[in-house]
Amino acid sequence: MTLEAQEIRVRYGRREALRGVSLTAEPGEVTAIVGPNGSGKSTLLGAIDGTLPHRGHVRLNGQDVSGQPAWKLAATRAVLPQASRLAFPFTVIEVVRIGLQAGTAGDRPEVPMQALARVGLAHYADRLFQDLSGGEAQRVMLARVLAQVWAPVEDGAPRWLLLDEPVSSLDIAHQLQVMEIARDFARGGGGVLAVMHDLNLTALFADRIAVLAEGRRVAFGPPADVLTDDTLSRAYGCALRVSAPPPADIPFILPHAASA
Amino acid sequence: MTAITDPLVPPRDRLSRARALHWMLAAFLLLCALASLQVGAADVTLTALLGKLVSGEALSQMERVVLFDIRLPRLTMGILVGAALAVSGAAMQGLFRNPLADPGIVGVGAGAGLGAILAIVLGALLPAWMQELTGNHLTPFAAFLGGWGSTLLLYRVSTRHGRTSVATMLLAGIALGALAGALSGILVYIADDRQLRDLTFWGLGSLAGASWAKVFAAGPLILLSIGAALMLGRGLNALALGEATAAHIGINVQRMKNIAILAVAGAAGAAVAVSGGIGFIGIVVPHLLRLRSGPDHRTLLLNSALLGASLLILADVIARVIIAPAELPIGIVTAVLGAPVFLWILLKRRGMVET
Repeated sequence: MTLEAQEIRVRYGRREALRGVSLTAEPGEVTAIVGPNGSGKSTLLGAIDGTLPHRGHVRLNGQDVSGQPAWKLAATRAVLPQASRLAFPFTVIEVVRIGLQAGTAGDRPEVPMQALARVGLAHYADRLFQDLSGGEAQRVMLARVLAQVWAPVEDGAPRWLLLDEPVSSLDIAHQLQVMEIARDFARGGGGVLAVMHDLNLTALFADRIAVLAEGRRVAFGPPADVLTDDTLSRAYGCALRVSAPPPADIPFILPHAASA
Repeated sequence: MTAITDPLVPPRDRLSRARALHWMLAAFLLLCALASLQVGAADVTLTALLGKLVSGEALSQMERVVLFDIRLPRLTMGILVGAALAVSGAAMQGLFRNPLADPGIVGVGAGAGLGAILAIVLGALLPAWMQELTGNHLTPFAAFLGGWGSTLLLYRVSTRHGRTSVATMLLAGIALGALAGALSGILVYIADDRQLRDLTFWGLGSLAGASWAKVFAAGPLILLSIGAALMLGRGLNALALGEATAAHIGINVQRMKNIAILAVAGAAGAAVAVSGGIGFIGIVVPHLLRLRSGPDHRTLLLNSALLGASLLILADVIARVIIAPAELPIGIVTAVLGAPVFLWILLKRRGMVET
């Protein structure tokens, strides 16, 4: 019962964006994918969620996803895209309800409001989605995704959240809120696979980290093993030092020190 | 039209409101249908006929012909065409994720126009037995083939490896439209005066040629296509979030596209074939309904069918009475009424957004 990607290869025209990347995400854990721009993070997620044509195999709870009908996959995993544009003037609650219809909690009409409350936007239910700020829209989309897989475990099988840069347009308080939601989902027995940009948040919330560079996996393991001077410096192509405090006269703000 | 007063509906109960609207619009359609049977060039009114029926008097031959052979098929045709155009519009807007899309976007209009012009201008060149066989159904038949054919062509062009690109379809549609326009232009150039007149009137649209034969020819296809389109509500809602997200939500996106495109080609193609070019219904009707009860396609498609049918037969009533005993092409009526209403809504909306 894992989410397993095996030897994933993706080509964009002549360019090989992923050159055989494998990783296994465990239920009960937050697995993060990090790496520099263009390293193939979102491409890997796109291959795993079935959006991008690829070579290699993806197994969801032991079953190969290729050939499985969309509705069946939708009952087991939900995908949060990087950005969402909505074509028509739906309200916030209507958008979340679209997620509910997709999942298996369709007979529980209270779930969309609970999902909205979870992301702190219950009072926005009747607003038009198009009028929201970028960060608010992203949280509403997270609520939609949560409504789709509301229970982290169903019929004894874990469900999965695939998140593509879930905190990219959020302020620091909401970054923490969203990452806590992801961690709670994992603690509840579900699995989370997230593409992350922020290394500090990743260090704080991920149980396992895959580092990509130039379409290859250069490291995979728990934060303490992966987030090292050497690995990061090589992956990002600049000299990085982990857990080194900056010079005394420059202030720094780390999510590690935040408390609600 | 009473159903379009306040765009600022509290969204919370939009779904139940949209469902209540089914019944209001059905009642409105019934009213419009009665009006359509009541008035016309001949001095026969529904009320007088009902009076006769109540008193047990027999209908005269003329009354029977007017009611059963002229007004009733025309009314039926109007309902079918109006519903087909409005549902096609709503479905295309959902598929292209653009409130300005209409059946023309998949080449129905251009192809049907070319087919009709071919039939009108070159129909006389067909061997006599073929002309006899097709009679005056040649133009609608050619229009339908043209609309259907160009849609399928566009669809083939924009589908690769089993995936249809709506963006390619849009661009290819523009190219195909220009090509059809040029071919039509050549035919117009060689047409004689009578043919030019026929062409112009075909382009303006009319229900005047309605007959039971046409109803039975176009009706089944239109009903089937509308029925298929009505099943797309949930999928089109999901598609509003984008193709990738719709797939993640569990929608078989490619199958939905197939159904939507074929349904629109069938419904709009048949509607254009029997009635000519009737504009504005496909864009205005879904737009009005979205303002009233939100964009949820689960209710929007059926409401569009009901309102589209009502407005088209209402426009037909106006077309018949306004310069009686002659009648105006209905496309003129829908444009003259539809365009100002559309502008008024846009201006009102803008005013509300700015204040």
